[in-house]
Amino acid sequence: MTVTALSDPVLGELRQILGDEHVLTGKADRLNRARVPAPFPVHRWAERLPDLVVMPGSTEEVAEVLKLANRLRVPVVPRDGGTGLTDGAVPLRGGILVDVKRLNHIKDLDLDNRTCTVGTGINALKLNERLAVHDLIYPDDPASYPCSLVGGRIGTSGWSLIGSRYGHTRDLVLSFDHVLPSGQVIHVGDGIGRKITKSSSGYQLKHLFMGHQGTLGIATEATLKLFPKPEAEFSPFWAFSDYADAYRCVGLLARAGVATFAGAVLFDEWKVAYLRRDDEAYIPQPSSVKALVCAALYGYADEVEAGGRRLMRIARDAGARYLGDEISQGDWAARHDRYATPLHGRTKSGQVAPMSWHCEDASINYTNLPSVRLAWHEIADRLRRESDVFDDWGMFAYTNGATGADYLTEIDIGIWEQRLDDRTWAAWVRAKRDLAAVALAHGGSISACHGSCREGEVDLVPQELGGGFEVMLQIKRALDPHNIMNPGKYLLDQAYGAPS
Amino acid sequence: MKYRRSEEMSPPPAVPVTDVAITRFEHVYEVAPELMTEHVLQQEFPNWDTLRLVHSRADHLAWMHRHFAHTVVSGEELLHELDG
Repeated sequence: MTVTALSDPVLGELRQILGDEHVLTGKADRLNRARVPAPFPVHRWAERLPDLVVMPGSTEEVAEVLKLANRLRVPVVPRDGGTGLTDGAVPLRGGILVDVKRLNHIKDLDLDNRTCTVGTGINALKLNERLAVHDLIYPDDPASYPCSLVGGRIGTSGWSLIGSRYGHTRDLVLSFDHVLPSGQVIHVGDGIGRKITKSSSGYQLKHLFMGHQGTLGIATEATLKLFPKPEAEFSPFWAFSDYADAYRCVGLLARAGVATFAGAVLFDEWKVAYLRRDDEAYIPQPSSVKALVCAALYGYADEVEAGGRRLMRIARDAGARYLGDEISQGDWAARHDRYATPLHGRTKSGQVAPMSWHCEDASINYTNLPSVRLAWHEIADRLRRESDVFDDWGMFAYTNGATGADYLTEIDIGIWEQRLDDRTWAAWVRAKRDLAAVALAHGGSISACHGSCREGEVDLVPQELGGGFEVMLQIKRALDPHNIMNPGKYLLDQAYGAPS
Repeated sequence: MKYRRSEEMSPPPAVPVTDVAITRFEHVYEVAPELMTEHVLQQEFPNWDTLRLVHSRADHLAWMHRHFAHTVVSGEELLHELDG
């Protein structure tokens, strides 16, 4: 049901549950929680506003809010850091926005079992500052590391920069309390255990309640797997005179079987061209540099040095030129914090224009990276020809795992959001659909990292999932009979009779 | 310590680095001024503030290394071992 303005009785009940100060109705409170960094039609900002914001302080309060919303059929959108790139935290039907940032406490630190239990409103950087005292780390490391929250990582089933060593969010979160759309609180993990890393008991519900983009409820408290804080880090960057050599080298590095290998990244020619105009590390590089590769290793110093020596030899034999310690170390440190990058694009005449960073991702097998790259740049080139609103900022491919089978493949598009209108927005949505179609045509998945519930790409989710999409609809209808949780996302309105 | 506004507001002469970038301070690069005349205009910046921003960035990156690991392995040293 669509609600555009909440009545006084709803406000009154929410204030009774949460206290007056945790129910926010001001324009700024709502405007600031309407968007995420994903491509956003700023000319239609008003369509994305929640009716009000609540900030619960406990699982019980979240449960009471959802019981109320379910009873009165009011849409609910959960919001954590608001850093996601697929609009999960963007309200499409107004209603109540549940901001979980007050759920930011460390509830338990179990040094013997190497776990901690936290409210889902906590940020990994702040958590790791506390864990460092015990020489431990929670190694979930997205590009939004300083600003994303654990709950959002669960709702997205996020991807980690160093996931080839430590695993991604699905591996690092052991279990969590989850509030269903009805307000019922359940605990999901492997089996029911809070600190269990492997169980074969029953359905594996943890995975069902990760990556749903807020359409199946709200995670409120999570138990996380911890590791020793690495003694040493090694992050070499290499330059190549052509993409083919860099592509071959990244494959060799990923398949080398080095135990401390945490990830490798391939930068294509368009990315190098972008960096050469705006990044202090690459502006002075000679024009012969056409592609880049980097790798990252973490562990004890003796392990990292031995593995690093092996990777340096592999890269050297593959024709790589090491870029030196200063660039390697500086660029790798900056990768943990991509949201802080100052952004400006170029018009076709070369003038600097203020642009936002928009990153489209897919999961692509190693052998298909070169052809996906060409097809995606054709789409970006079409956008660029259509309007100065768009700029092609090149592509990255990051290893998804330690064996080198598949890669988080990204194309970065600069968008001059202030100049968006209905025509250019339609062009963008069409491009996103085309990018997703290329990924599927190459046997990939529409997303490795962000999720796939935005306009454009979401149209192809039924094609990707096949019969699994009908199961998704059945699960949604069973768990959320009144469609209160994040309505309008992932084509799930079809579960309630909306046309496909 | 002295501060003269006229000195701070007079950056060193620009040296072209590429066709789209210049440099005024060592290892500090700027977009070529002629590319910032229509949609984004260059701001006047005191020299000390330019250098403060650059040093802050370096501090932030060093902090990020310490945040993730106790030490950083040198690729130059590993390469030297391999070549030796």
